[in-house]
Amino acid sequence: MARAGYLALGIFIIGCLWEAAIAIFALPPFILPPLASIGGAIWSEFPFLMRGLRATLTVAGAGYAVGAVAAILLALSMVLVPTIERVVKPVIVAINSVPVVAYAPLCLVWFGMGPASKIAMVILAAGFTVFVNALQGLQSVDAAGVNLLRSFGAGPFRIAWMLRLPAALPAIITGLRVAVVRSMIIAIVAEMLGAYEGLGRIIYESTQQIEFLTLWAAIIVASTASMIAYGILVVIDRRLVWWK
Amino acid sequence: MAGSALDRVETDKPYEALAVTGKAEASAGSPIIELAQLTKTFDSSGQKVVAIEGVDLAVRPGEFVTLVGPSGCGKSTLFNIVSGLLDADTGGKIHFKGEERQGKELLGTVSFMPQRDLLLPWRRVIDNAVIALEVEGMRRKEAREKAQVMFQEFGLAGFERHYPHQLSGGMRQRVALMRTFLFERDLMLLDEPFGALDALTRVMMQRWLLGIWQRHRRSILFITHDVDEAIFLGDRVVVMTARPGRIKLSREIDLPRPRDPHVTTTPEFLAIKADLMEAIEEESMKSFMSQDERG
Ligand SMILES: Nc1ncnc2c1ncn2[C@@H]1O[C@H](COP(=O)(O)OP(=O)(O)OP(=O)(O)O)[C@@H](O)[C@H]1O
Ligand SMILES: [Mg+2]
Repeated sequence: MARAGYLALGIFIIGCLWEAAIAIFALPPFILPPLASIGGAIWSEFPFLMRGLRATLTVAGAGYAVGAVAAILLALSMVLVPTIERVVKPVIVAINSVPVVAYAPLCLVWFGMGPASKIAMVILAAGFTVFVNALQGLQSVDAAGVNLLRSFGAGPFRIAWMLRLPAALPAIITGLRVAVVRSMIIAIVAEMLGAYEGLGRIIYESTQQIEFLTLWAAIIVASTASMIAYGILVVIDRRLVWWK
Repeated sequence: MAGSALDRVETDKPYEALAVTGKAEASAGSPIIELAQLTKTFDSSGQKVVAIEGVDLAVRPGEFVTLVGPSGCGKSTLFNIVSGLLDADTGGKIHFKGEERQGKELLGTVSFMPQRDLLLPWRRVIDNAVIALEVEGMRRKEAREKAQVMFQEFGLAGFERHYPHQLSGGMRQRVALMRTFLFERDLMLLDEPFGALDALTRVMMQRWLLGIWQRHRRSILFITHDVDEAIFLGDRVVVMTARPGRIKLSREIDLPRPRDPHVTTTPEFLAIKADLMEAIEEESMKSFMSQDERG
C-alpha cells in the first residue's frame, strides 16, 4: 500500500512540473498541452480509446500467454534433455540478438496486417524474456538438493517437478513481470508500423493528423494499462513466492 | 530391491523393533555393507585430486559406526559413493547385503543425510519430512499420517505446519533426520548432522539420536569432527587419514549401553579418547601442513 502512495505522489509531482513548465516557458499546446485538456480528450474520446486499448490488450495478452508458456516448456525441456539446450539455445539467442521490431516488416508480409503479425512479435519478445529467466532459474538449483532427491531414487522429471520448478519460481515470475511491460511496448510499436486498430494505430494516426490531444490521451491510456498489468503480477509474485 | 522377508518385517514396523541391547546384537550377521579398495580421483580441468584411496570398511547390521578425519580427507566423497551419487574409480567393490552394487545401482538403497539440511523452503515441515515417501510414490495423505506419529518422538510436535525458516537450527536438523528416518532403509549415512549446532544442543541431540537408534535398529554410518561425539555414539570409531583419505584405524568402543552423558568423564572414555586423539592429531597436522605448502 505504501508503494501505491509513492506512485500517487510521483504522478502528482510530474503533473506539477508539467503545468509549471507550460506556465514558465509559455509552451504552445502542440508541444505540451495542459493536463486538463488531455483529461478532456480522454473523456470525450473514451469509447474510441477503449476500442483501441482492447485491440492492443488482445494482441499483447495473447502473445504474452503463448510466449510465456512456450518459454517455460522450452526451458524445462532443456533442463531435462541437455542436448536440446546445446542445439536450440544458440538459435534462440541469435534470433533475439536483433531488436524484435526489426522483424516487423517480415511479420507483416508473412501474417498480414491483422492481429496475427503483432501477436507473433509479442510471442518472440515476451517469450525470450521469460525464457532467459526461466532457464537461469531452473539451472541454478542447488546441486546438493538435486543429489538428495536422487539419493531417494528420484528421476529427472520428479526432480524437475518437486525441486527445480518451485525453486525457479521467483526467477520465472521476475521474467513474467518484465515481459508484461515488454509485451505492451512491442504490441504498440508493432501497431504503429502497420495495423487496422489498436492504441499504436491511434498514436500513429493522430500524429499524422496533428491531433496531439488524442496522441497524449492514447499514451496515458497505454501506460496506465501497463502499470495495472505490472501491479497484478507484483501481487501474484507475493502470493506465489511467499517463502522469500 | 529384493530384500528378504525378514528385512521387510523390520522396516515396516520400526516401533515394534526391540531395543538393541549392545554389541552381541550388533555383531551378529554378515555386513550390511562392505567396501573394498574404494578409490576416487577427481579430475577437474586436468588437475587430478585423489580424494580417497583404497578404503576398506564394513558395517554390520544394527551397528553404529562413526567416522572421523581431517577436513577435506574425503568423508563426504565416501558417502556420495555409497549412496550412489558418485562413481568410484574402477577396481573398488561395494557389496550391499551381500550383492555387488556399483554407482547408480545404489541410488535409493541407503538413506542419506547430507551435510546441510537442504529443507525446501516452500514446503511445510511435515511435507519436507515425507519427501522421500513421495518420491517412492506414496500418496501425500498417507505419507503425512505415517510422519505424524513421529513428530512427538523427534521433538517437533506442534510444528508440523510450520515452514523451515520458522525453526531453530536444531529443529531444522531434526526435521532433516526425520526425513532420513522416514526413508526406511537399513543403512543410514549421516554427514555431520550436528556440526552446526552449539555444544549444549549438540549433547541433547546425541542422547536423543541414541534413543531413536536403539528403538529403530538401523545401521548408521556417522561422520563427525568431534572425537567425544564419535566415541559417545559409536560401537566403533573409524579414523581416516589426511587426503588421500585411507582408513587409519578402526577401534571398537566397548562402553556399555545405554550410555549416560557422564560416561564422557570416566577413565575408560578418556583412555580411548587419548588413543584416538593421537591418531587424529597426526593426520590433522599432515593435512594442515599440506595446505601450508599450497598456500
Ligand atoms: N566434485 C568434486 N570435484 C573435484 N574435487 C572434489 C569434488 N568433491 C570433492 N572434491 C575434493 O575431494 C576432497 C575431499 O572432499 P570431501 O568433501 O569428501 O571432504 P570431507 O572429508 O567431507 O571434508 P569436510 O570434513 O570439510 O566436510 C577435497 O579435497 C575436495 O576438494
Ligand atoms: Mg564433508
